[in-house]
Amino acid sequence: MKMIDPHVHMTSRTTDDYVAMAAAGIVALVEPAFWLGQPRTTVGSFVDYFNSLLGWERFRASQFGVRHFCTIGLNPKEANNPKLADDVLALLPRFLVKDGVVAIGEVGFDDQTEAEADVFRRQLDLAREFDLPVLVHTPHRDKKQGTIRSIELIQAAKFPEELVLIDHNNEETLPLVLNTGCWAGHSIYPNTKMDEQRMAALVKKYGTSRMIVNSAADWGISDPLKVPKTTDAMRSIGIPEEAIHQVVWDNPAAFFARSGRFDVADLNEPPAIDRSLKYESNSVLRGEQLQTR
Amino acid sequence: MTLEDTLHRTVRARCSEAAGRWFTEALETAAHGSDQQLLARYTAAARQVGTAQLDVTGAASGFDVAAFAHWTLADAVRTSLLLARATTADPGALQVLAIQCFEQGDTGEQISWLRGVAFLPQPERFLPLVIDACRTNIVPLFEAAACENAFPARYFPERPLNQLVMKALFNNVRLARIAGLGPRLNIELARMAADFADERRAAGRPVPPDIDLALSGARHEGTPV
Repeated sequence: MKMIDPHVHMTSRTTDDYVAMAAAGIVALVEPAFWLGQPRTTVGSFVDYFNSLLGWERFRASQFGVRHFCTIGLNPKEANNPKLADDVLALLPRFLVKDGVVAIGEVGFDDQTEAEADVFRRQLDLAREFDLPVLVHTPHRDKKQGTIRSIELIQAAKFPEELVLIDHNNEETLPLVLNTGCWAGHSIYPNTKMDEQRMAALVKKYGTSRMIVNSAADWGISDPLKVPKTTDAMRSIGIPEEAIHQVVWDNPAAFFARSGRFDVADLNEPPAIDRSLKYESNSVLRGEQLQTR
Repeated sequence: MTLEDTLHRTVRARCSEAAGRWFTEALETAAHGSDQQLLARYTAAARQVGTAQLDVTGAASGFDVAAFAHWTLADAVRTSLLLARATTADPGALQVLAIQCFEQGDTGEQISWLRGVAFLPQPERFLPLVIDACRTNIVPLFEAAACENAFPARYFPERPLNQLVMKALFNNVRLARIAGLGPRLNIELARMAADFADERRAAGRPVPPDIDLALSGARHEGTPV
């Protein structure tokens, strides 16, 4: 079955992960700009990071037959550094127009401070200006309240709900999101957030409309094969194939297609893998022989 | 006996003679040398005196031994260097230099800095930095800010303090380790903890046993801080 992983931080992952993901049926992924595990202190770090998402990482994915898209934005944790936040927000218009940028994100709340709310609102304005959907991170701590505040902020800004994907839902927050016009993302994690059996149960209970699953794999304990593993879990409790297809393909494709830069028809043909190609003279090969073609 | 005296004496009692001589020179440099010289010694402290446990059990009565439970010799040396600087530098210059020690520090230096910050003159001016430090995903760094440290309960406004408590619950850091938490418990924290317990139950996961302390906040509301 063909799948999209609509939230996975590949810069933190290995080439083995790309091989395994492609073998498991993942043909496209979206890598949201996020927090790198420790704070960046200058705007230049963001310039290089955004460029790496658009450049080297997309190239690296293509070398394994996977199409790479990204979202660009200022994450909530670093929104709390006021000088940095202003500089990064001023930089975003340069990147939001690039090909392959399919949403603004991750935006949202972490500690739920006023600074985070301000940066969240300003990025909704940018989304409107650049006609992009928005990927909203919900916090680990005080998640239900953080989800409620996110929805209230989106509604107060009168931002179109069908252009918003609220991510990292659980049993407590999903009904709140489905009660709006927003899409509902779920990050399937080995120990925290959501697991594949609970996810399958939620699809059974709430149906497939606006339901999305992702691995959110990053530099922590996480698993880039959680989307295919969740399809197995859904199948094992008797969810029909068309419904599974809707959750792991139609829904994320429809959401990101709103950017005008995510061509679903184009995904039917995998990118031709040519490992003799180089990106700024770097190859993913490390002395291996190219296969004869 | 002042805090400085206690730290100096306990470091000297635990380290080699050569390291002791280095410490004496470093204190002198910290008071009278350049910023770069102090920063270099702040970094070198762990290499020079090591990271053995600081033992303050022999300190004078009335000394808050619990606050130093996890301190290392290097933590004590680094805090001593900034305190030595404070005797000669004006408050603004000390603040700039102390912030550099944190921002340019590796994890070990940042842990030392967070353990010592409550003992610097006018510690409340470092509040934004300590709140930001709690955003880390490195649990030992978070513990240095959150645990056996008077700073958060003394200076954090309610919202970041509540976030700190919730983060401790998430990371299996015992709430009993948050110094001075009792009088700062509040209704909003109890609400956050109750939501968290619901979320864990809905996910079929265990609720941390010491969540009861955070839940008890409703009873403490109105207690003067």
